[in-house]
Amino acid sequence: MGSHSTVHYNLDEKYDFTPEAKKRVLMWLFIGLAMFGVGLAMLIMGGGDHGHEVAHGATAGHGGAHAPTWTARLYAVLWHNALFFTGISLIGVFFVSIQYVAWAGWSVTIKRIPEAFGAFLPFSFVAMLVIFLLGGHDIFHWTHADAVAHDEVLQGKSAFLNTPFFLVRMVLFFGLWYFIWRIIRGYSAKEDLEGGLTYYNKTITVSAVFLIIFGVSTSMVAWDWTMSINPHWYSTLFGWYHFASWWVSGIATIVLTVLLLKEKGLLSFVNQNHLHDLGKFMFAFSVFWTYLWVSQFLLIYYANIPEEIIYFKERMHLYDGHYRGLFFFNIIINFLFPFLFLMTRDAKRQTILLKIAAIAIIIGHWLDFYLMIMPGVTKGTSGFGFLEFGTVTVFASAFIYVISTQISKLGLLAKNHPMLQESLHHDI
Amino acid sequence: MSEVKSYLVGVFDDDDVLLAAIKNLREQGAKILEAFTPFPIHGIDPALGIKRSRLPQAAFMFGATGTTCALTLQISTLGFDWPMNIGGKAHLPFPSFIPVSFELTVLFAALGMVGTFLLASGLGPGSQKTVFDPRSSDDKFILVFDIEKNKQFSVEKLTEMIKATGASEVNIKDIVEKH
Amino acid sequence: MNVTSSVREPLVTGGKTWADITNDICRQVEGKPSKSWIIAFTFSVLLLGVGVFCVMYTWFVGIGVWGLNKTVGWAWDITNFVWWVGIGHAGTLISAILLLFRQKWRTSINRAAEAMTIFAVLCAASFILLHMGRPWLAHWALPLGNTYGSLWVNFNSPLVWDVFAISTYLTVSVVFWYIGLIPDLATIRDRATNKISRLIYGTMAFGWNGSAKDWSRFEAVSLVLAGLSTPLVLSVHTIVSMDFATSLVPGWHTTIFPPYFVAGAIFSGFAMVLTLMLITRKVFHLEDYITLAHVESMNKVITLTGSIVGVAYITEFFIAWYSGVEYESYAFINRATGPYWWSYLAMMTCNVFSPQLFWFRSVRRSILATFVISIVVNIGMWFERFVIIVTSLHRDYLPSSWAYFTPTWFDIGDYANSFGLFFTLFLLFSKFLPVINMAEVKAILKSAGDVQTGQATGNAKVKSNETVSHN
Repeated sequence: MGSHSTVHYNLDEKYDFTPEAKKRVLMWLFIGLAMFGVGLAMLIMGGGDHGHEVAHGATAGHGGAHAPTWTARLYAVLWHNALFFTGISLIGVFFVSIQYVAWAGWSVTIKRIPEAFGAFLPFSFVAMLVIFLLGGHDIFHWTHADAVAHDEVLQGKSAFLNTPFFLVRMVLFFGLWYFIWRIIRGYSAKEDLEGGLTYYNKTITVSAVFLIIFGVSTSMVAWDWTMSINPHWYSTLFGWYHFASWWVSGIATIVLTVLLLKEKGLLSFVNQNHLHDLGKFMFAFSVFWTYLWVSQFLLIYYANIPEEIIYFKERMHLYDGHYRGLFFFNIIINFLFPFLFLMTRDAKRQTILLKIAAIAIIIGHWLDFYLMIMPGVTKGTSGFGFLEFGTVTVFASAFIYVISTQISKLGLLAKNHPMLQESLHHDI
Repeated sequence: MSEVKSYLVGVFDDDDVLLAAIKNLREQGAKILEAFTPFPIHGIDPALGIKRSRLPQAAFMFGATGTTCALTLQISTLGFDWPMNIGGKAHLPFPSFIPVSFELTVLFAALGMVGTFLLASGLGPGSQKTVFDPRSSDDKFILVFDIEKNKQFSVEKLTEMIKATGASEVNIKDIVEKH
Repeated sequence: MNVTSSVREPLVTGGKTWADITNDICRQVEGKPSKSWIIAFTFSVLLLGVGVFCVMYTWFVGIGVWGLNKTVGWAWDITNFVWWVGIGHAGTLISAILLLFRQKWRTSINRAAEAMTIFAVLCAASFILLHMGRPWLAHWALPLGNTYGSLWVNFNSPLVWDVFAISTYLTVSVVFWYIGLIPDLATIRDRATNKISRLIYGTMAFGWNGSAKDWSRFEAVSLVLAGLSTPLVLSVHTIVSMDFATSLVPGWHTTIFPPYFVAGAIFSGFAMVLTLMLITRKVFHLEDYITLAHVESMNKVITLTGSIVGVAYITEFFIAWYSGVEYESYAFINRATGPYWWSYLAMMTCNVFSPQLFWFRSVRRSILATFVISIVVNIGMWFERFVIIVTSLHRDYLPSSWAYFTPTWFDIGDYANSFGLFFTLFLLFSKFLPVINMAEVKAILKSAGDVQTGQATGNAKVKSNETVSHN
């Protein structure tokens, strides 16, 4: 009825990944590499005597049960980042699939952002594969044949925890994820050109298939890539907990990317209401992550079974309380901070506040993964130095480079999406 | 002591017409006493100048009270009044306090906020708020004008203005107000 | 201004107007009870009568009348309790989580689902009182302190957490439900033709007159209540799961229990809502409000939660093997192949396999198939709790005390009591209160109805790509 003002958006808006921008990202990549190099050199020399001695001991046949060497810290740091960025890329695909299967309308204007994330999967796959092949022995105790030979529990698990099967699962899951991402992304591109409902309906079907694969594979990779670092320890919830941490980091990365693009004057069709919804997602799933954290902690704390409680002992008491501070900081930054900070309506609608929250959550969950991986591999020898910051800079720059390239390939708006008008007029 | 007050009641058949009418009439300087509708209408609050409710803040305060009460109860009883050794746990096992603290937080927040809402809106068993037109709980949208407060317009003029914005009827309603 | 995409199916069909909604829903409340209602109500009350006799007998003689033994000290009582609490999750989930996710199809079913929730929680509470044996001492579960003994309640105990969780859940659900009822009660009051019903519904309507200011507060309250209820729903079944998971019993102590119980609860709750709504829809002729689109959406949630439950079963089984702990592995192998294999088989078939049929669109949209599967799912979910509780207990660490549990007539009778209570309450609700939230359905009519209403928009059928409405 009546007249209503319709703002006309540029439906063909594109992001241009300019040569200068590329140069800037590559510069950060090299800074990261330099920091990594410095950190590595310091690690080798600093821990030299001690490390050498232990490494010597290891060659003498005490495989596995030895104190960690400098290589342990190196590979743990690499593995941690590869895992973290794999998660973010995967969550991009997951986010898009959920929107399709749930018939979500509001998210169409931001859909192209998470949709681009899947492009990083092949890179993180190579990273993980190479790190495993080079440093698997340092990260995974169960890869030592001599350790397994003296360990009845590990022998029992060897049908599952063995290198060939591990690699098969890794290749299979990455392959399936990437394959489906390619289909979804391809349909999305074709929809831009041809319009109609065909690709929309096809994407719903493919998304449903992806969700099934995702539901099974996220738990399994959590067992493989993270839980088996402590091969005697087990927790049925761990897969979902691991997923929740990925999920929150992924949402925060989507939010941050949207905000950064908006700062460049792009994505004018993403209004405060979309940001509000994204903010709600960050808020709600931070609480959800906390819920799983508490469920896992409370039950293990309560039952106090030695095989289980060791996981929290390592993080709270062992190694002279090396991880104690981080353990509590993890809860503060991933629960208390987003919970209190994002509670109000304004915080979810104002760009600057949302940006602070997104960055804090990304850092928080990066630390959460740090805490999942480090104690098992490096015992008390982990730290935060050039090595850690260099590695994360390299991975983040690579991620930004790949994602920016991918975003620039298609328009920023899925202009023929059947729910487009719903999203453009989104008002809550 | 009771007195009779007169109101002009504009009856609308559509929520969008109502919204446009509200904007139009307020621009012309008419003072709207209230709108009565069968369901909440998106965008009516800014049109009528209703401020965003502060009930969420109230809920937060009640919730914080709940958390405090729960923690006080658990710490004072289990920690000090009658410490017990249960399963070798500490006398102040904070992880075990999480569930009850959470539940009481929610309970206090919910009940406190709903109580505040009922009080603020004057709702409750036995409460009889004025219904200007019973059809406003069915399919009609009602705008009510206090004639006294719109003295700058004659009743006829105001009636005409309301009709012009699309009201299907405009009635005068006398309400006996008890003091 | 809201826009609804044309790919969305209408949620209100039959070209309804706002006045039609009022008439269609109020008809049941204002008219005389139908014959089918009277028959169903009589049957429910009779069932309740038999149940009450069984309950009284149980209380008089003691819980020894049940089939419990020294090894299996918890069986049907707790199975039924968990089952009912689980069913009691759907209502608040529909009204809270789906509100936050702005799912419009929620509006036609939330009222009845919430009512169902409250009644299911009451049924669950009846089993708490029953299994106490001495229900007149139920207040000992409250933190009442030294006047009643020399100790406080033990806040380390998951059973005490349960007292807080269930009572908070019941209270908040009732409040949430009632707040939502107020505008509709006012509608009935304003239509009432006789003094008694005007007085009763008028009192219950709390004086509501639908002013914009009250609606503004009402919406703020609904949204915050939804925000509070969402974690509350999760917490309730989480804490119920902790009744088991904090223990050291293999098969009970597993960290996945909290979210997995929640998923199972939503699963069974949605199934129960479907069972009831498909009947209500038919009997009250509400096909235009509870459409195939609603049924399909509910079935999708059932498929999702059923699959989550399935993944959890597999995870538990796998980790039991992976853990290398002999007792863990045995507990799970015993579930599948021990003397209770039939209950395990029932659970797997009903819960994991039957909802997978909903992957087919034709099954999702078939009323008959949905009705059958919704019942099958609840049978499965009962067996799930039975499997978890009884098979984990019946073979403990001491083989000489291994035992088998067989229910007695009083186990069955006390279970029947809860059905009598549930159906009696639900039938009373469906007769005397509006089963569909009129105000909410009216609010979505323009954006989700099959025909645009109101004089302003005028055109009956919208053929353009987008349905534009301005609410």
